[in-house]
Amino acid sequence: MTAWEEIWKSGMGLPLGAPGWVVLVAAWVVLFVGVILPGAALVGFFERKLGSDLQARVGPNRAGPAGLFQPIADVLKLLQKEPLRGKTPEGSVTWSWVHAMALYSTIVTLPLGSSLVIFNAEMSVFIPFWAALLVSLSVLLMGLSSRTVPGWYGGLRVSAQAITGAFPALIAISTVGLRAGGFRWSQLVDSQGASPLAWAFLSSPFEFVAFLVFLVSGLVLLNIPPLDGGYSVQDIHGGVGTLTQGRRLCLFLLGRFYGYFLWSLITVTLFLGGWKLPGTLYRALEDVSAFRTLAFLEVSWVLLKTTVLMVLVSLLGTVTPRVRSDQITDLSWKVLGPLSFLALAGAAIWMEIFGK
Amino acid sequence: MIEGLQPERLGTDLTRWTLGPFHGALPGAMRLSLQLDGEIVSHAKVESGFLHRGLEKALELHRWHAAVTYADHLDPEAAIHGELALCLAVERLAGIQVPERAQAIRVIVAELSRVSSHFAYMARMARAVGATTMMHYVLRDRERLLDLFELLTGGRFSINFLRFGGVSSDVTEGFVERVLEAREMIRIRLKEYNDLLSFNHAFLRRTRGIGVISREAALRHGATGPNLRASGESFDLRKWAPYSGYDRIDFDVPVVAEEGTEIPGDSHSRYLQRLREINQCLEILKQVTESMPQGPFEGPKVTPQFQVPMGEGYAAIEGARGQVGCHVFSDGGNQPQRISFRTPSTAHLRLVPQALRAQRVEDVPVILASLDLCLAEVDR
Repeated sequence: MTAWEEIWKSGMGLPLGAPGWVVLVAAWVVLFVGVILPGAALVGFFERKLGSDLQARVGPNRAGPAGLFQPIADVLKLLQKEPLRGKTPEGSVTWSWVHAMALYSTIVTLPLGSSLVIFNAEMSVFIPFWAALLVSLSVLLMGLSSRTVPGWYGGLRVSAQAITGAFPALIAISTVGLRAGGFRWSQLVDSQGASPLAWAFLSSPFEFVAFLVFLVSGLVLLNIPPLDGGYSVQDIHGGVGTLTQGRRLCLFLLGRFYGYFLWSLITVTLFLGGWKLPGTLYRALEDVSAFRTLAFLEVSWVLLKTTVLMVLVSLLGTVTPRVRSDQITDLSWKVLGPLSFLALAGAAIWMEIFGK
Repeated sequence: MIEGLQPERLGTDLTRWTLGPFHGALPGAMRLSLQLDGEIVSHAKVESGFLHRGLEKALELHRWHAAVTYADHLDPEAAIHGELALCLAVERLAGIQVPERAQAIRVIVAELSRVSSHFAYMARMARAVGATTMMHYVLRDRERLLDLFELLTGGRFSINFLRFGGVSSDVTEGFVERVLEAREMIRIRLKEYNDLLSFNHAFLRRTRGIGVISREAALRHGATGPNLRASGESFDLRKWAPYSGYDRIDFDVPVVAEEGTEIPGDSHSRYLQRLREINQCLEILKQVTESMPQGPFEGPKVTPQFQVPMGEGYAAIEGARGQVGCHVFSDGGNQPQRISFRTPSTAHLRLVPQALRAQRVEDVPVILASLDLCLAEVDR
């Protein structure tokens, strides 16, 4: 029996004899229902509210107090829509399931807290990464099997951007791994402190460059506004999204949110201190064995940082014009790529001279 | 074609993509048939005629008395320009003198409409490139202008304000002050827009060198207004054939293409041309409101029995999108025989295939927005 199983078993009150896969499924469901769904609703709501305040308009204000139930109303409406019969190509349906599976498989590696990480392996940083590439592949195939021009272009743009965005992001991850001495989530977080000054992105100028490169290449990789040529509404009506309706659209949109959330969470973990709480608080709680409180505080802290990052980036996205996808791939190869190498080399030299 | 900005051909198989009559990228009900080489438009065909408004026919079926109401609907965003073209044509044919005060009021409303139409244009450009914040800001400020129309005429878009020989009502108390206030507001906001979008790096990369229309092509297809001036031809009817007292006002016609910083005739120069023109509108508004002549604001009462002498008359004005011409025929009765309009968008629509050639699919909405097409004007 591994450590994470014990923690989850005691945390959720499962019988000690429960097999590993039951614990895994239970943990997966808890994270999906307890973190991702409410997270999507809340981040979406705050983004809409803040965005409308900044854009001199009202925003959601009808459903519930201050429009708080608007995400629920949106989902309920999408769920009761009947799909157009015979209009959705089979291949596109199949690939949308691959899309969902690739995305949500990463839940097992979500870096949500010192005890809550289910899969804390040597290379766990890279797992969401390959999932993101698989997601782009399935979007490409959804688009190609859609038999519509917007679908083709949407799919092709998404995959082209994913390929170019993946490269600088990988190099930027290596920069952090270099500093932490490994790619285990716990290692990466423990190499940082609780105060912002001890976060990785401020540890050296090169780490800061790596942070920026990683953040932007994530937007490129996952087609997040303003770098979302593949889902551009103006010319191709949202690309692959045009061929999905109702429940599948709901799932697809949640998937897009989840990709964004995942990337922001990884950015926070790699560069912005992750779940790290002040040492005295951590030890005090550990001394009294308040593991649930500790886990809750860690999750809240990391989710708060993630939410702030997400909202900031999406507000920036509403101000900035959408960049054309050929310009995005240009940016990736010609700016982000060299910058990431600079960051890697610089960080290595920095460590040699100043130590960690 | 600007060197180094766009590859001419990708050499893939050709794709056909038909957009419309209804599509978010289009300015109205029209059909755009694209032949695509990869993501690059190798050939574009434009089709219009999906609106079936029958505006000119409706004008024939009613009396002169009602004509302004219909001309008002020519361009929904700047209603005054259709009205003004009709009124000038009829006044020319019937030999009606317009009091100076009425002319001043006409100029105020016409210039406010121009600003309002250009604001809507900027909002559409911002939307086409996905800068929604800019879009909302511009629309917020346009509301202030629509408030002014409401104060003066009771309507915000369809104002039905002009009469043959004058205007329907004098300016209300405080109107001029509010115009000046709005003028100040716009002056401040223009700076804000420039910071937010006009010279934003990403915006420049989306619009500079995109959808270039040469001066020759613009002239050949009969382009007028800001689109023509953006291509480098300094032609403005307010200077070239002044009407309604524009000859008494001191203003410049900005030509962005001559400033040397822009690529003449591209999407960004068309956008910037309108920004510059808003500045001139403010100058005109300042001068007109400072020297408002006293006197009557209307000519002889226009009753349902109003008659226009037999003959034909033509008048053209500088509308927000370009030259709006009105040709009226009268058989001497109280009903027009034929009224036909010359609208700028009809000519600009013919520029679309050329502007789209060798451009990317992602730039199609931007180029269409930058041409400021109004399909209501085309299918009249």
